[in-house]
Amino acid sequence: MIEVRDLVFEYPAKRALDGVSFAVAPQTITALVGPNGAGKTTLLRCLAALEMPYSGSVAIGGLDTREAPRKIHEKLGYLPDFFGLYDDLSVRRCLLYAARAHGLAPALANAAVEKAAARVGLMDRLESKAGELSRGLRQRLAIGQAIVHEPKVVLLDEPAAGLDPQARRDLSMLLIALRDAGMTLVVSSHILAELEDYCSEMIIIDNGHVVGGKPIAVKDVERAHYAIELATARADLREFLAAAGVDVVEADDHRALIAFTRNPGARAKLIRDLVGAGFEVASFAASGKALEDTYFAQVGRAGEKA
Amino acid sequence: MNPELRRNLWLELSPRRITLMTVMLALVIFAAAIGKDAEYRPAAVAEILYFFIVVFWGTRNAALAVVGEIRDRTWDGQRLSALTPSEMTWGKLFGATAYNWYGGFLLLGVILVSDLAQKGAGPAVLNLVYLVAVGVVAQATSLLASLVAIRRRQRHTRLEVFGYQILGLIAASVVWDIIEPNGLLELLHGSKDTIVWWGQPFNSRLFLVVSLVIFTNWIIVGCHRAMRVELQMRNGPLVWLGFLAFMGIYVAGFDAWLSTDKTMAEWTATALRLGLAASTFGVLTYLMVLLEPKDIVRYRWIGAQFANGKIGVAFWSFQAWMFAWIATVAVSVALAIAVNGHADALMAQAFIASALGFLTRDVALFVLFQTLPGRRRGDFAALMALLALYALLPAIANSLGVANAMPFFFPKPSDPVWFGPVVAWAEALVVTTLSITRIALGEKRAS
Repeated sequence: MIEVRDLVFEYPAKRALDGVSFAVAPQTITALVGPNGAGKTTLLRCLAALEMPYSGSVAIGGLDTREAPRKIHEKLGYLPDFFGLYDDLSVRRCLLYAARAHGLAPALANAAVEKAAARVGLMDRLESKAGELSRGLRQRLAIGQAIVHEPKVVLLDEPAAGLDPQARRDLSMLLIALRDAGMTLVVSSHILAELEDYCSEMIIIDNGHVVGGKPIAVKDVERAHYAIELATARADLREFLAAAGVDVVEADDHRALIAFTRNPGARAKLIRDLVGAGFEVASFAASGKALEDTYFAQVGRAGEKA
Repeated sequence: MNPELRRNLWLELSPRRITLMTVMLALVIFAAAIGKDAEYRPAAVAEILYFFIVVFWGTRNAALAVVGEIRDRTWDGQRLSALTPSEMTWGKLFGATAYNWYGGFLLLGVILVSDLAQKGAGPAVLNLVYLVAVGVVAQATSLLASLVAIRRRQRHTRLEVFGYQILGLIAASVVWDIIEPNGLLELLHGSKDTIVWWGQPFNSRLFLVVSLVIFTNWIIVGCHRAMRVELQMRNGPLVWLGFLAFMGIYVAGFDAWLSTDKTMAEWTATALRLGLAASTFGVLTYLMVLLEPKDIVRYRWIGAQFANGKIGVAFWSFQAWMFAWIATVAVSVALAIAVNGHADALMAQAFIASALGFLTRDVALFVLFQTLPGRRRGDFAALMALLALYALLPAIANSLGVANAMPFFFPKPSDPVWFGPVVAWAEALVVTTLSITRIALGEKRAS
């Protein structure tokens, strides 16, 4: 659905994106992560055909952003990190304008407004003015405007910024529902925990490059991430696990993070082997932070500081 | 209905605002009607109010039509819509000013009724057309100014918005001059009844009204083109080239403007008209290099296209000032050929070559200052540098009694005759080389 090839984007004194290439499959939710200033927002704006690449290409649904930016805009929903609303318009009129501005016929626009309002939980606020909504409700309205025309691709820049825990949970459920409805979503954030619930893939941007050169699968149906902790340090932990055919995400002398089959029998055997080899296994547990683990495994602990 | 226009109508024409405007205007007109002061009859008061509401206030709303969206962070949402550039242009032009036009139409009703009773149908309709034209031209000019400005910089202060409003008001004053018997006609021709254009006499009123219609169209075309750029659509050069051709032909046609200077006494009318066209293109080059964003990344990209042999692609991406510069050079060369054979031809040709050299140096100076640290103020710094080069340094040289140094600062006849052009083009070469080097160095640093 999204194909980026050798994308280069320059500001007068800085190359913000340097040879970025990746592809995003349809009906997925992809996290776009990286430290502040890494180039996430620039990349999103290039995907949204709001910025034209210096070289390389960006294709959305087979359309090149240079050749057909307006056709892409029709197909796209975009929530910028700092967005504005027409405060003096009612929620209904905000959504109706967004629907009509995206080319929906008048006969279809009203139904689209009701559907979008229902999706973002604003049915009971349709006649309220946008300026009277709380921050969380404004965020919902902005997302409603981005999806009212049923776009094929939705780009969200820091969508959970400033939301309370309940609103974040609601947002996660909404994004999953949009994916299940057939949309392809790219969500930019530097808060990894909020992406955990709904992202299946992750693109790490650092200093204008895609770390690892391609999107990384975060959720694996066959395998899960497990954390092993030793009571006594052993320098050969990584080598032992690797020799046992285990995919080591990261490891030191005390602990290891592995991607391993969800089969209980196989896990029991691995624990037996570890103990048999003299490792003092203090814990062996599923890691609930698959995305965070993968991120730091890719960019290294140095990224944590950034 | 155009969604952008409709949204603006929702915002601008709320029942409360409509009621307020209607009641206020009704009260003022009523007060004028029952008053005894002959100067403040309803129609006269309505005309004053019309200028305030539609022209003065309307230009401000037009200037804010896009700048306000950027300020309120709704502009990206609009850019990401399926709205066409035409829908956006008309929606902004008449939507952002819908409240002004509502009041304006109420006042036009009062003026029309009065004119019909006192002057008859013809003059009444003419006055109506004129008043509407003043409003449209003023507002469209303000919108165009703001659209050009946002390409340079997204954030705008209230003072800058006031500047765009002022440009609209200047445009309105030009329209006023067209209708005013003692206005522009004096400037365009000594006679007030006819204008001689390309040797043909035209009724001056008709000529100016047709000119007004054509320039109004160019302003709206300009808005449309600027809107296309905002919507990420590519503008080819053909419309701008068309405008250049129009301006060259239009300005060169005024017989009253053909020089009567004794040094050009032997020049043919064709040569004089070429001189007018070249001057017009030169002015447009300066204007556009000042107005357009000197996008260093774009210049690098154009350079890369040239380096890769994609001459057509590079040419298609030229900025407006580049085409205006090319047109100036082309017409100037034609002029230099046209004066060949006349007395003092060599002197004239040297003068033309010097002028082109200084023009080239000056546009390169604008680009150079954009590549230096603190480039946000690059245009201001370039203007200061030009002030120094054209006024300050010549004044100092004069004070020091070095009058021979003038060809370093102006296109000026020199002895030997080749000295002026060589100096001008040497300066142009130095500044252009510096600019290109800075752009190339910037590319190296960026990558």
